[in-house]
Amino acid sequence: MFQQSKSRNFSIIAHIDHGKTTLSDRLLEITGTISERERRDQMLDAMDLEREKGITIKAKAVHMEYTAADGETYGLNLIDCPGHVDFSYEVGRALAACEGAVLVVDASQGIEAQTLANVYMALENDLTIIPVLNKIDLPGADPDHVAQEIEHVLGLPAEDVMRVSAKQGLGVAELLEAIVERIPPPHGMLEQPLRALIFDSHYDPYKGVIAYIRVVDGVLRSSDTILLMGTQVEVDLLEIGTFRPVMTPTDELGPGEVGYIATGLKQIGECQVGDTVTLAVQPATAALPGYRPAKPMVFAGLYPVESNAYGDLRDALERLKLNDAALSYAPEKSAALGFGFRCGFLGLLHMEIVRERLEREYDLDLLITAPSVEYQVLRSNGDIITVDNPSEMPDVGQIEAIEEPVMQISVITPTRYIGAIMELVTGKRGTFESLEHLDPQRVLLKYRIPLAEIVIDFYDQLKSRTQGYASLDYTLAGYQDSDLVKLDILVNGQPVDALSLIAHRDTAYGQGRQLVEKLRRLIPRQMFEVPVQAAIGSKIIARETIKAMRKDVLSKCYGGDITRKRKLLEKQKEGKKRMKMVGNVEIPQEAFMAVLSLNDD
Amino acid sequence: MNPHHGVRHLYIHIPFCERRCSYCDFNTYANMEDRIGAYVAALGRELAAWQTRLGSPEPLPAPQPPALMRADLKPTVFLGGGTPSMLPLPLIEQVLNAADPIVPLRHAEVTVECNPGTLLGRDYLRGLRALGVNRISMGVQSLHDPTLRILGRSHTAAEARRSYEEARRAGFDSINLDFIFGLPGQTPAQWEAMLHELLAWQIDHFSLYSLILEETTPLYAQVTSGRMAVPDDDSTGEMYEQAIEILGGAGYRQYEISNWARTSPGDGVIPVRACHHNLAYWLNADYLGCGAGAHGHLYPQRYFDTLAIDDYIRKTHTDALPLAEITELTPADLAAETMFMGLRLNAGVSLPHFADRCGVAIDTIYGAVLADLEAQGLLERDSLAVRLSARGRMLGNRVFERFV
Repeated sequence: MFQQSKSRNFSIIAHIDHGKTTLSDRLLEITGTISERERRDQMLDAMDLEREKGITIKAKAVHMEYTAADGETYGLNLIDCPGHVDFSYEVGRALAACEGAVLVVDASQGIEAQTLANVYMALENDLTIIPVLNKIDLPGADPDHVAQEIEHVLGLPAEDVMRVSAKQGLGVAELLEAIVERIPPPHGMLEQPLRALIFDSHYDPYKGVIAYIRVVDGVLRSSDTILLMGTQVEVDLLEIGTFRPVMTPTDELGPGEVGYIATGLKQIGECQVGDTVTLAVQPATAALPGYRPAKPMVFAGLYPVESNAYGDLRDALERLKLNDAALSYAPEKSAALGFGFRCGFLGLLHMEIVRERLEREYDLDLLITAPSVEYQVLRSNGDIITVDNPSEMPDVGQIEAIEEPVMQISVITPTRYIGAIMELVTGKRGTFESLEHLDPQRVLLKYRIPLAEIVIDFYDQLKSRTQGYASLDYTLAGYQDSDLVKLDILVNGQPVDALSLIAHRDTAYGQGRQLVEKLRRLIPRQMFEVPVQAAIGSKIIARETIKAMRKDVLSKCYGGDITRKRKLLEKQKEGKKRMKMVGNVEIPQEAFMAVLSLNDD
Repeated sequence: MNPHHGVRHLYIHIPFCERRCSYCDFNTYANMEDRIGAYVAALGRELAAWQTRLGSPEPLPAPQPPALMRADLKPTVFLGGGTPSMLPLPLIEQVLNAADPIVPLRHAEVTVECNPGTLLGRDYLRGLRALGVNRISMGVQSLHDPTLRILGRSHTAAEARRSYEEARRAGFDSINLDFIFGLPGQTPAQWEAMLHELLAWQIDHFSLYSLILEETTPLYAQVTSGRMAVPDDDSTGEMYEQAIEILGGAGYRQYEISNWARTSPGDGVIPVRACHHNLAYWLNADYLGCGAGAHGHLYPQRYFDTLAIDDYIRKTHTDALPLAEITELTPADLAAETMFMGLRLNAGVSLPHFADRCGVAIDTIYGAVLADLEAQGLLERDSLAVRLSARGRMLGNRVFERFV
């Protein structure tokens, strides 16, 4: 029968780049979960995008068998989760399925902003934390100092801090022992009716929705008919199993065990992350506490470049949503771009990843508009409306006040960059809140700053002004009244709704000038002269002119190589497909994102 | 096997060069001169193989003016490169002898590309004439010595002029010079001055190409890394307009985007001094290509020969034909190519030519596209043909891409 006492469920949490993935890979190897032959870097990061970017985007789970020093064999479930701040909701979901967390801190970098955020989340979930210093083999490592910092800042005793080099495999065996010793076994009840938490899911074309579950109470068998308590959907299971690390069928899953169920469900909405699985014949009385749904912070329009691909985009979003609960979308129509969707994202990285996944996994050509935040607008008639698309901002005359979301940001930085960070933050309408010394060389700074300012290029600027040393975390702090205006862009005399943006009155002129200058360079020359203007209301505040194209002809003689001429023409035509015809002007995709990189040059 | 064939154009590639120019990405090789003899023998085998396959040439069709059609073209043989003038006369003779059964030289336009840097003694040029060569094409490219050095050309402006004059004295009355505009450091004023200087030379034919930076070339690397600057599109556009104006005003007729022929008595829809071989490409005619990397077109197929010299030589021993790749063409491909090649000609695509080549009326396939391009002012048409407008000639790619 099930030996709950021999189960350990844990996550590894870390600031980005502190070596979480390498450590996971090492655990899989040492426990023999993967053989040397199967070994490749970033075992758990299956998505191409994850491998390319070297980050984890999705939470995933894997089951390992480990024989400890006491001679007993334990079943360890590692639930992998992302490190980037955009994906902290994924971390939260992963942690809810665990009893413990291995906190990885880079032995030379020390605590970073995300380390703090992750620790708070683990404490909220009542997890046992095992602090681990990684990369102790590197010349810059200062494990004693960082262990002290962990004690001082996080309140975890310095003597409990493990020392590891995941890359070289040092200390990893000791860590496995600590996982068995320190993390408590799951405490679910075998005799109770089944309750299992869905902490993730993906869609399989043959098996329908595959839900990743953690069994809390009772036993789930492959022949069971289950009931999803939130949606009240009953379904006969196709298969249940565990991750080893590939999905491996099994007959039953007991309390504390982590695995998957193949539901055969084709409808996304029927099997939601956070829902509780129970048995149809003997349902539990109360569902498990679910998750707070992740709240989108950044909004942008997604449009198919070819307008007839609208249906494909809708289907793709529906599928992707299953795998990415934080994504929200609603149909919208743009005068310039036609039919598309207003999508809500957790942040810019999330937005970029969604776009890339849609393009790669669903073979779509997409155009994305500049990101916006969600404004609360008090109209003169007393109505309060929510505006997440600048083009929907009412006329100035109808607006009483506009409130915008404000974030509290935490920045951990060496003291020598405090001045540079102050300058950056105040230039972006931020206000200082507090400064706390972590040690003589490093401080934790807190500010309030409008989200709209962070969305633009804050993170890149922070990194470049601090030579990469500062780390950032942020949470929503509320809304504030601001003097905002809508900046419209006119191309060839026509307003292009998808290029509109909301700006603070004080900086709107400068932004308008920079934006039209940037657009002049991004929009290729057309067969006629094209003015590009920025306007606030009916007042033009900046203008640039794109000169007419003078010459575009291939004069070179390729002899009889007609194929080559043809390929050049095809390539040229292909390049144009990536552009959107707005009126009679071809606008490339980058132009819609121009506002993001105004300070680049 | 066909007893008679309608292939009347033959390109022969000579891939050898003393050195490779910094802008060149053609299939050419330096320091391989020791293969020249074996290569020419291989060309002989390929030409013989084609002759066996094709049979003997059909009698020439009667020309049908005034609409420009394939039948208006002379048969042609074109030795291009590379540097064909690196071949000693006996080897040129060997090549031409092998070509003659396919395209009889006595009726043909026979062109040899000569590099002004290859030592042109009068004997060599007279020798070419004696072998039946009746047209010379020289890649002069520039009259500015520092620029010639940047391009990696092995000749000076003075040598180019001497070579040209020697060709004249050797009796050639159809001489083309190639020039490039948009070169590193070149200004419209320099270009204009050079064109004026060239008018005094009384050249029969100009080919003026705008520099294209090909990715695999040294010049591309120099420009993309910022070590060298080339004029912007506006400047090259201006240079092109200068050429149209200056050459047009001096009695040269532009008959294709990059080509001008000196006006001569007897000029018809085709100028007397025009290059019939290139016209065959623009009229999307069938042609053979022989030699390493040479391209051929025998509708419904296109092919090219093996690229590397040694592989090519070996294949002429072992294979029926030394082909590297064959592409099958559809009627839609044929129609598209007939348009985007033909519209390069100032005479445009004549309606009888399109129907003759594609077997269907032009408007059946392209009526809507042509009307749209005409409305945009890029095309003109009359009862005889459709052709680029003056503006369309500047923006040719915008027109051509509508057909692919």
